[in-house]
Amino acid sequence: MERSNPTYYLILTLTALFSLSACHGVLDELYDKPKEGIDVKEGQLYIDASSWTDWFFIDFNAANRNFAEGGTGSAFVKMGIPLGDAEAKSTKEHPVQQTGIYTYWYDVFGKGVSNNEFDSFKPADAQPEPETWHIAVHRNNVRTNGGAVYETTYTSMKSLPESSEAFADATFTEDEWNELDVWTIQKQMLNGLIGNQGIAINPVLSRWLSVEFPPPPNFKLNNHVFIVRFNDGTYAAVQLENYQSPAGVKCNLTINYKYPY
Amino acid sequence: MRHTLLYILLFGITLLSHAAEMDSVFYLNDVVVTGTRTYKLWKDAPIQTRIISADDLKKADATNVEDLLQQEMPGVEFSLAMNQKKHMNFCGFGGQSILFLVDGERLAGETMDDVDFTRLDMANVERIEIVKGAASALYGSNAGGGVINIITKESTEPWTLNLNARMSRHNGRRFGGSFGLNGSHLKNMLNVNGNSVDNFNVHNADNPAAQVVNTVYGDRTWSVKDRLVYTPTDKLKLIGRAGYFYRELVRTADTPERYRDLNAGLKGLWDISKNNQLELSYSFDQYDKSDYLKIPHLDVRDYSNVQNTVRGIYNYHDWKTGSILTVGADFMHDYLMNKNLGQEEVKQNTFDAYIQSDWLINPQWEVVGAVRYDYFSDKKDSHFTPKLTARYQPIDNLNLRLGYGMGFRAPALKEKYYNFDMVGIWIIRGNKDLKAELSHNFNASADYTTGNYNFTVSAYYNNVRNKLATGVPHYMPEDIQQKQLYLDYDNLDNYSVFGGEATTQARWDNGLSAKLSYAYTNERMPKDKAGNTINNQYIPARKHAITARIDWDKQFTRNYGLLVSLNGRFLSGVKNVEFVDYYDIAKGTNTIHYPAYTLWKLSAVQRFGKAVKLTAALDNLFNYKPKYYYFNSPLTDGTNLMLGLSIDINKLF
Repeated sequence: MERSNPTYYLILTLTALFSLSACHGVLDELYDKPKEGIDVKEGQLYIDASSWTDWFFIDFNAANRNFAEGGTGSAFVKMGIPLGDAEAKSTKEHPVQQTGIYTYWYDVFGKGVSNNEFDSFKPADAQPEPETWHIAVHRNNVRTNGGAVYETTYTSMKSLPESSEAFADATFTEDEWNELDVWTIQKQMLNGLIGNQGIAINPVLSRWLSVEFPPPPNFKLNNHVFIVRFNDGTYAAVQLENYQSPAGVKCNLTINYKYPY
Repeated sequence: MRHTLLYILLFGITLLSHAAEMDSVFYLNDVVVTGTRTYKLWKDAPIQTRIISADDLKKADATNVEDLLQQEMPGVEFSLAMNQKKHMNFCGFGGQSILFLVDGERLAGETMDDVDFTRLDMANVERIEIVKGAASALYGSNAGGGVINIITKESTEPWTLNLNARMSRHNGRRFGGSFGLNGSHLKNMLNVNGNSVDNFNVHNADNPAAQVVNTVYGDRTWSVKDRLVYTPTDKLKLIGRAGYFYRELVRTADTPERYRDLNAGLKGLWDISKNNQLELSYSFDQYDKSDYLKIPHLDVRDYSNVQNTVRGIYNYHDWKTGSILTVGADFMHDYLMNKNLGQEEVKQNTFDAYIQSDWLINPQWEVVGAVRYDYFSDKKDSHFTPKLTARYQPIDNLNLRLGYGMGFRAPALKEKYYNFDMVGIWIIRGNKDLKAELSHNFNASADYTTGNYNFTVSAYYNNVRNKLATGVPHYMPEDIQQKQLYLDYDNLDNYSVFGGEATTQARWDNGLSAKLSYAYTNERMPKDKAGNTINNQYIPARKHAITARIDWDKQFTRNYGLLVSLNGRFLSGVKNVEFVDYYDIAKGTNTIHYPAYTLWKLSAVQRFGKAVKLTAALDNLFNYKPKYYYFNSPLTDGTNLMLGLSIDINKLF
């Protein structure tokens, strides 16, 4: 076919068109394919703590044994948050540190959740716990088993002093009653109403992951190492390394720990 | 004479359009293409087409299509949807019913029913053509409310090199460059652009009546585009293009959101003979969204929409009568990957064919009729859409137009297959049984030009059946304890919108020009099939909107000129019906009043020689700050000083 014939160019063009065709796109190489979980190292735990209605209890001795036996860093016990009987009625009375669900109205879409107001209370059983545990996590909240916590300025487990004795003079903070932060029931969230478990949590250790509102929630990781002092006189050093799964799901916690420390 | 002119249009469209614009007082001799998919002089176009010319673009100094349309078009409002995603309301029609085209090609990807408007930067735009009213008979799905066609520049000088920059508040930065070459058979235009603005916080008064914004999210974008035109013979023109776009937005510090687009296309225009013209094209567009997980350094994609389109258009011109027959067909493969689908990916093929007859009965009367058939492989859905328009020109420069068009929108793949748990509030579910949204559009318009003045009026009525939107939140019947709410996509009814627009323009020899536009829009909000009030997904259009502009352009000496512009817009307040309690709709609805506002911009462009332009602008001139930053409030926290510099390197020598 003559090169001066327009048909030549049209056929050439069409051939180029179809050869370039890429039905599912051509940018695959730009992206990472997330794995299902992460490869945890010794002294590390990975917990999907994204559930609103469960606590995940960690026993560092069990975690150490798990590693010694070739485990995968998933040494924790999951226990549901008691939500109260279906028949139990909510009350507008505000009890004092009674176990149950405290519903608050939060200014989620306005000034932020620090602007809030008590709405109702529904009694429920106390949080069940395993026989032995050191700390427990629920999304961005952390409890200790009768412990107290100090936040260091260290951002690496490797650079910590040899032992916890270096923090002997530090001020440790115990768990405190809380009915505002353990967000458990979200079914009225669009109206700003959120049901919280009334329970003691550690205000210092819970700083390792903060969530700011109004939406979308803005997660902020605090990568400082925290020292936890337990009732039996032992210490642990813990650090939140990451709060996302490889696929980006939030409240999937990768925790570095050293116990005993 | 008319025949000769049309013939010239077909074979020298770019040069002529440029020359026509230079010669035109308004747009009379500008060439438009969007209304009929054939080239027409604006003053003879059977479909009323609003033009935003290169001259308008210079005066507006807009960064993207959002800035521009809000400045130039009354009745266009960009508001926010969930997560501050931008939503456009164009005279009552949302983003899914207004088809955005770039050089005639669709854009892939959507968020909350709208395309990514930040992709549509205003660098290297020759003009924008806006056709209001149903255009589905030519453009198919998503054109039920109109078409906005952005037409890019071709290089017209042997070489051009422009560098430009602009700085503004909140660390706003805009940089751009374009390099053009123009040979006897080959011309090329390369564009590189970048924009960035920081997040900033705004303050709301106490007790807002609806959701408010506390942080306005900025973003960072850059893009590169290249367009190559090869004209091997005087009867054949081949156009190749490619572009890449990147945007990053930081809502959560550790997880920036990324948006990417890669597009490319080839088009062949062949003048087979004096009467016959053939256009063949292929277009590829891929739009992706991903989250960059900073801590593990992973870029994880959660959305990808890929569209491959092949198109053919044939035009037959009967020079004796001036009539044109247009026959066209498209094939598109549409691929969607979205982590919020009930399945990993969905895809479908769509095919359409259309025929249009543009019949010039006599110099006064012209009638255009079109019918189109669309087929969607998913659920084997198909539709016929007709359109009929008449134009009457009783005297020179007066056009009266009357038209009917059917519009339709096929359910998007997302609307059929979505399954998204919205932070535990409710699960948004697709509906495989959705029917296509159909609309009947009636419109009438008139435009008249005399001396230094131009007047345009138009009115329309749209009745929409089976409107596609989310319905009433509900619990499943077996969920006695009402633990989980669902929000399903549904076909709604009883939606209609009517309105009109009036524009007057004037240009005087002393360098002054002015434009005043008013738009009226009245939406009757939809209900579900049972007649229940629903929570409107988006805030309705404001009933009254005015845009105004006055310019003064003076060349003082050979080497110094000045253009001063003042433009503003006024939008009336609007009421929206919203549920008192989303979880108990029996509690009824509240009517929320969103306030009116007005914004003004003053700018001065100083020209030094032919090459250098220095721009200073005060956006939000009167320092307006909303009391509440609702989703349809302007996202401004006060007057914004903008300083810009543009240098045409090729004109320095």
